Amino acid sequence: MFDISLSTRRQRRCDGVSRRDFLRVGGLTALGLSLPQILAAEARAGAAKARAKNVILVYLGGGMSHHDTFDLKSNAPAEIRGSFSPIKTNVAGIEISEGLPKIAQQMDKLALVRSGSHNNDHHETATNWVLCGRFGSAFGDYPAMGACVAHEFGVQSVVPPYVAIPQNPSFTWELGKSAFLGGRYESFRTGDPNAADFKVRDLAPAEPLLATRTERRQSLLHAVDQLARRVHGNDQIATYDEFHQRAADMILAPEARDAFAIDKEDRALREQYGRTEFGQSCLLARRLIERGTRFVTVSFGGWDHHGKIFEGLEKKLPDFDRGFATMIEDLHQRGLLQDTLVAAFGEFGRSPKINKDAGRDHWGHAASLVFAGGGVRPGQVVGSTDKEGGHAIDCPVAPADVACTIYEALGISPQTTLSMPDGRPIQLLDEGKTIKPLFG
Amino acid sequence: MTRFARYAAALIAIVGILDRAGAASAAAARLSIEPPELQFTTADERAQLLVTLHTADGRTLDLTRSATYTLANPALARIEQGYLAPLADGETTITIVGQDESGARLTASAALRVKNAAADPPIHFSRDVVPLFSKFSCNSGGCHGKLAGQNGFRLSLFGFDPSLDYDTLVKEARGRRLFPAAPDQSLVLLKATGTIPHGGGARFDVGSEPYQVLHRWIKQGAPADHGKPVTLTKIRVSPQELVTTRHAAQQLRVIAEYSDGTTRDVTRVAEYRCQANDLMQVDMNGLVTTLDRGGEGTILVRYSGGIEIARFSIPFSQGVPEAAFAAFQPANYIDEATLQKWHTLGVAPSAVAGDEEFLRRATLDATGCLPSPDEVRAFLADARPDKRARCIDRLLERPEYVDYWTLKLADLLQNRKERDHDVRGVKGVRDLHYWLREQVAKNRPWNELARDVLTVRGDSFEHPAVGYYVVTIGESHEPDKSDIPASVAQSFLGTRILCAKCHNHPTEKYTQDDYYHFAAFFSRVDLKRESPEKGPTRLVNDVKRALGSNQPRTGERLNPQPLDRTPTTLANDADPREALAKWVTAPENAFFSGAIVNRLWKHFLGIGLVEPVDDLRATNPPTNPQLWEALSRDLVEHQYDLKHLMRTIMNSRTYQLSANTTPENEHDARFYSHFYVRRLPAEVLADALATATGVPERFSGYPEGMRAVQLPDPSLNSYFLGLFGRSERTTACACERRDDVTVRQLLHMQNGDAVIQKIHDMHGRLAQMLDAKRPSSEMIDELFLAALGRHPAADERTAVEQSLAQAGDQQMDFFQDLFWALLNTKEFTFNH
Repeated sequence: MFDISLSTRRQRRCDGVSRRDFLRVGGLTALGLSLPQILAAEARAGAAKARAKNVILVYLGGGMSHHDTFDLKSNAPAEIRGSFSPIKTNVAGIEISEGLPKIAQQMDKLALVRSGSHNNDHHETATNWVLCGRFGSAFGDYPAMGACVAHEFGVQSVVPPYVAIPQNPSFTWELGKSAFLGGRYESFRTGDPNAADFKVRDLAPAEPLLATRTERRQSLLHAVDQLARRVHGNDQIATYDEFHQRAADMILAPEARDAFAIDKEDRALREQYGRTEFGQSCLLARRLIERGTRFVTVSFGGWDHHGKIFEGLEKKLPDFDRGFATMIEDLHQRGLLQDTLVAAFGEFGRSPKINKDAGRDHWGHAASLVFAGGGVRPGQVVGSTDKEGGHAIDCPVAPADVACTIYEALGISPQTTLSMPDGRPIQLLDEGKTIKPLFG
Repeated sequence: MTRFARYAAALIAIVGILDRAGAASAAAARLSIEPPELQFTTADERAQLLVTLHTADGRTLDLTRSATYTLANPALARIEQGYLAPLADGETTITIVGQDESGARLTASAALRVKNAAADPPIHFSRDVVPLFSKFSCNSGGCHGKLAGQNGFRLSLFGFDPSLDYDTLVKEARGRRLFPAAPDQSLVLLKATGTIPHGGGARFDVGSEPYQVLHRWIKQGAPADHGKPVTLTKIRVSPQELVTTRHAAQQLRVIAEYSDGTTRDVTRVAEYRCQANDLMQVDMNGLVTTLDRGGEGTILVRYSGGIEIARFSIPFSQGVPEAAFAAFQPANYIDEATLQKWHTLGVAPSAVAGDEEFLRRATLDATGCLPSPDEVRAFLADARPDKRARCIDRLLERPEYVDYWTLKLADLLQNRKERDHDVRGVKGVRDLHYWLREQVAKNRPWNELARDVLTVRGDSFEHPAVGYYVVTIGESHEPDKSDIPASVAQSFLGTRILCAKCHNHPTEKYTQDDYYHFAAFFSRVDLKRESPEKGPTRLVNDVKRALGSNQPRTGERLNPQPLDRTPTTLANDADPREALAKWVTAPENAFFSGAIVNRLWKHFLGIGLVEPVDDLRATNPPTNPQLWEALSRDLVEHQYDLKHLMRTIMNSRTYQLSANTTPENEHDARFYSHFYVRRLPAEVLADALATATGVPERFSGYPEGMRAVQLPDPSLNSYFLGLFGRSERTTACACERRDDVTVRQLLHMQNGDAVIQKIHDMHGRLAQMLDAKRPSSEMIDELFLAALGRHPAADERTAVEQSLAQAGDQQMDFFQDLFWALLNTKEFTFNH
């Protein structure tokens, strides 16, 4: 009985249309409206209305193995199955890896998408794709979502709108950058918040200064900084002046420093998140969205397990489990989860077949993604893969769909137009649909 | 001559003709018609006439849209706004009437002959159908042209593979896409016209010309291309070059030329892309409309693999008085070329920079260093008329010059440690760095240096340039499949060919075949990496390896052949890179000279003649082709002596113009009417902070006093250098070095402990002056000279002295604040 109600709730069609929707619109079609028209109208209305104010994106760079975390195939042959066993979660019918016991206890706040899928197996290319929602070259032709969000929302508080903790995702060069939007929308990189005596560089005054001296510096600067009075029409000069002011505001405002003052957090809570780079990054992410940052990327790399994957995951999963589960619980308890869309994913999943080095290789065809908050209906699984976990068999979710989901959750239309350096207009996304079952 | 050079030469010829036309101002206004004679031989042909008014004062105006057209025998053709379609066979005359600016009527005529108007000619799939998919963006990368296709329908990107497109249309989807029995029920037509829902919307109307072409092709049984198809040899665009005004309109005309000698008007089937959206717009039919800004821009025209551009000049102002140019006295050929461009564009240059501005700029650009206060004073005191030329000569002989240009070359050649499998380690990076330094110190000609790198063989200890191959081949076991072909093209030829690795280049002639022909030059490179204890990495030419590279789409094995398709034969035991280097460095290779010329020009003038600096192609022409050509010629004539070219550039008045803008030239960002200010590069700024404050930076693993510019290894951990965007040298793209301005940089300049400590340092410049109890007015001067390379202006001195007076006995605090302010000026952080 219980299972039946769960499954009707869970088994939605991919376009988000339930049987009940069909019945509901049965009457409307008589008025000459088709179902797609009605849904399209609803979708447009939805795009304008924000479900969330903030985004925390946990980026699992390198490509976390979905086979060993969120999409276990215990009936698959040994060369695919791997060494982790599934465990029950606090949602009946949903099982995940035994390596993630704490996350299992947060499943009632999470939604899993098991059908992430694209066709690219190259770290940089795929990372740019999933961080932008647009396919481009490995070098980042398009701005990352965080940069676009900063561009759309502007600077609304003394903390930067787009922050990367501890830095942008990177394999050999930085990814998640602002591309043609320029330095103005680049992420603000914090450094490792788990470092002893962590401080964001250059934010705390480097010397104790009386207000009179601060004022004197600014007035002397005003007297001698004459270049902009003689050189007009130069964008770098204009940007420099604007950023000079923003930097001065950040140094002088205690709120900015306070946002990064992770040592003000309760000691026990810090332990609970885990005294690791990732654990403290999750905690800092929460602190920042509380204070006005709109898009935080927590970059957690090192999932590229081409060899000895099970040993690797034994070491890596506990950090992830602890930090991520604690962040979800903490956001929930503080009432922040409803305004904050949390997403966790990497650039791809990993191959079903375990290779000769006991590892798994790059695999764009299937990956698991985790969502929470921001109006996401928790305790559900969207999509699935075949019996080897090799391909999405229903509800395939492409990078553009993920980006569309995030933009629309923030009330940003994916059709918003940006201007390329040559003046060519370009929409945030050229394809993609919100993953509707997430919000059903 | 390469295509690029021919192109530049052609443009120069055209500019010349335009000028002469302008001088012959006595002629009366008249109309000209292009083409004066028209012939249709099949019912499918169309033609666009161009009607041009030549005013009495030598300007041209397009009247194509406003003229009236009358056929003596109206039954022979339909004509609308100069666009003709045949109706019946016969010969007739078209009378064209247009009005000049005063409203006077001018008349001209064109002859028309029509044949075979009643026949239904066969439609050729690749010639007639595929271009429609391009025209209506069906096969673009955002739609069905991407690798995954769109909704199960995939076309080759920009139609580069017509046979794939044919199979997709005819054989896939159980034949539903095409219905020869009822062509209008074909899915491809229903979708394209939006008759049934189509994600891309309606692309063209039922009954329109493209509709009819597709419809007739389907009705004819959707035949494949058979026999040896005629191929497109090129397309021609008119006008190719035009000086026009703001808010003007100009119709383009596009002619395709085929291998069988026939031509066809493809104006309505060609694709148009505006490459300067701030200046103008272009519609589907090739009508260009200029907007409200001055400048130069191009329209890219693409048809069936043929690519051309039409170039538009829109003067910033009309009728700039000759006196505005009179103060500018050309010093060499550079100045003559820039002056001519300013005349064309109606923009007058700023004044020549003062001595202090010049000295700081020249010292920074040539050596990456700030001039010292003593150097500034000595230069100001020098009364000789040729002191600037002497100064330039001196700067180019300084050891700091060698350091700076070693850094530039090391960026270009991506000198770094290539992850863990680069067993050379940081030692290999240093070896290559010091090898480059030797070459710069000897002023090694650029062609010789390039040849050394391209053909290097042996071990990395003795031949450090092997490192270039280690880095660009990376982990790949097949060099022809690695990054090296694209890196070589971009670094040495300023040409981006990476697109063609997967599909034909969308904005250049390069095909996928061209790419793999080029890649084949590296097919015998064998890198032997030993563990470091066993010895150096060795590069050998493995003659046992078969010559050639596999084209992945066709599976064909392609022989080494340069990008201009010069046939190349190689001996069985050859090192193909010898032939490559010979072709790359040949004096007639305009890309080789042009690429380095453009890089040098950008270094000194801030903006390349071509931008991006390493994206030379016929469709992205230099903003001043005459100048570009002259610089290239000068370089080749001086045996690729880079220092000679630098000296020539630095001695030009153009380089020595003030950075101060005038209201008339502040909108110019491409034609060098004033000096373009820019933020100092990371290493130069780090060194500038160190020398201004007198406190050297310490880089871990290197001795104290080592300047940032001298560092060989880009992976050295430095917050400052990363923050200000040094190049990590991971790619061949010049864009890796970033010159943007970020909030973090400003936080660091205002509040970074490194900056603050340097101001405070007890051995620093300020502390020493305070210890020596130098008079305060002298100290003010000295700080201005150290940071900004100039004395304070009168108003600045007054403001500073007033503030000092208020500071009372807190002298040290005051001077720290003044120094802080000077280091936080844009004048310090920018080259100006």
